[in-house]
Amino acid sequence: MAALETAPETLREARPKAAPRTKPAGAPKLQDTARIIIFAAALVMFFIPLVASAAFGFTLPGKGFTLEPLTDALAGTDFAAQLFTTLELAVLSTLGSLVLLVPTLLFLHLKAPKMLRLTEWLSVVPYVVPAIALVGGANLFFRNVAPSFLVSTYSLVPFYMVLTLPLVYRSLDAGIRALDVQTLFAASASLGAKPRQTLLHVVLPNMRAALLGSALLSCAMVLGEYALASLLLHSTFPVFMVQVGMNQPRAAAALSFLTILATWLLLASLSSVTARRGTKKSTTKGGSR
Amino acid sequence: MTIELDKAADRPEAVQTPPPSKTSRKTTHNTTRKAPGKLAGWLGALPLLVFLSVFLIAPIATNIFTSFRVDGQFSLEPMAKLFEPQYRDAFIQTINLSLLTAAVGGVLGFILAWALATGTKPAWLRNLVLSFSAVASQMGGVALAFAFIATLGVQGLATRIILSLTGWNLSENIQLASFFGLALVYLYFQVPLMAILMLPAFGSLKKQWPEAAYSLGASRFRYLADVALPIMWPPIVGALLLLFANSFSAYATAYALAGGRVNLVPILIGFFISGDVMADESFAAALVTGMIVIVVAAMGLRTLLERRTNKWLR
Repeated sequence: MAALETAPETLREARPKAAPRTKPAGAPKLQDTARIIIFAAALVMFFIPLVASAAFGFTLPGKGFTLEPLTDALAGTDFAAQLFTTLELAVLSTLGSLVLLVPTLLFLHLKAPKMLRLTEWLSVVPYVVPAIALVGGANLFFRNVAPSFLVSTYSLVPFYMVLTLPLVYRSLDAGIRALDVQTLFAASASLGAKPRQTLLHVVLPNMRAALLGSALLSCAMVLGEYALASLLLHSTFPVFMVQVGMNQPRAAAALSFLTILATWLLLASLSSVTARRGTKKSTTKGGSR
Repeated sequence: MTIELDKAADRPEAVQTPPPSKTSRKTTHNTTRKAPGKLAGWLGALPLLVFLSVFLIAPIATNIFTSFRVDGQFSLEPMAKLFEPQYRDAFIQTINLSLLTAAVGGVLGFILAWALATGTKPAWLRNLVLSFSAVASQMGGVALAFAFIATLGVQGLATRIILSLTGWNLSENIQLASFFGLALVYLYFQVPLMAILMLPAFGSLKKQWPEAAYSLGASRFRYLADVALPIMWPPIVGALLLLFANSFSAYATAYALAGGRVNLVPILIGFFISGDVMADESFAAALVTGMIVIVVAAMGLRTLLERRTNKWLR
């Protein structure tokens, strides 16, 4: 490495043409200021809507900080019920995805790696079908096949599982790939462990980061989902927020601020979960989504 | 597979006596499993496959089927109706909005990605921006719409501050419930999304490449044009296509901000499904099909480019 780096250096010394040499020497200062300006601008842009929604939602002219707009808007509504429904849906669809995907993926990695190409391809399909398109198709299909299915709020759960599939599938798959389950199972079997013991005591604890990461992603997505819930006529928190926003913009801003904050916390804790894992591979995987 | 066999071969000499039978059974099982492996694979994937066929494939198939049928007969009429001025205009508007936010978001996001990828100077600042970009790229939806109303709406914070400072009423010039207002709000997630998508591509430009080019006497421009650009353009275009699809399929933000005031495909679909407009099942399905076709085209192209990219970017 060192030899490689010094070689061009000597070559450059030999060359009288100074143009390429002065650039690396003079440019960094200018580039560093440019970078700092870009970072600062990005931070300001990210924060302005947050600050504004907090300021707009939690103050009244001439009164300073107050919870009044929020409490006024929420009084007499079944706000708590809707929030609870959304939380319930988030938990159920997250659990559903994990219960469906973890055993399937482990099984396929162990017994039939060739099938993974098909399931991976399928897992990306929801990316191509926007939520608004899925709801159109779901409406048509289930009205003909099982008319009573869409009535229950819980009917949203499988659709949320589908919508979060690309993210959840990939983060679980990456977690399993990083493990080399075949070897783990073989090694632990040779030590006398039953497959179930291996699964519970070796594989799942090692997948903690992947499990946690996919759960956080799934929760964050479900908490903000609006298209499916509103068009299938279920009242969830985002639907409630739009109703409030029709005539109480301050309360809507306050709720938005709290929602954005909660989502940021969820997703920021996700990046710290993946950061602790620390491999460069996992971040590039995450990026290509 | 070979590792497994090696391990199994090593182990029996170890202390335990009962396990070897288990491992040997496993290895023989593994070697003779070739034929039933395929069946086991299908069986193992079955729950996932069934789940996806019921909740993803069947709805899409029903939708596409319905969009070619009127009163139980095959017909191209619903699809043809997409070309009526009102609906054609919706598609054109949505495509324009997606092109605009993908282009502007792409340029700004590329600059941000460049700063993130090459800058290490104030590490805390860089990390802060990086983690917020990752989060902001996933934002959107109702909350973002109201946050922007609180910023740039008639009584928004920024509007009031600018009004009191300069006397210029921002909200008269920037209507959030308009084409450009929506574009502005979309940029909030498009810019960081582009940055996050471009980071791996920047990261894989090897440091040695510019050194090699300069040592051969290339100018900076020459390096960018002949080395960096040919390698970077597939991921750039791929990311732009994803931004396009992302913006094309956004519904919640657009609905909460503009309702029916902007003629966009997702909003039209929403109106048809919720029954605000006359219930024409086939035409609603045709709108959805049209949308799927456009998003599939964008994402399909991206997949092709991604394959090209993987050749270089490791």
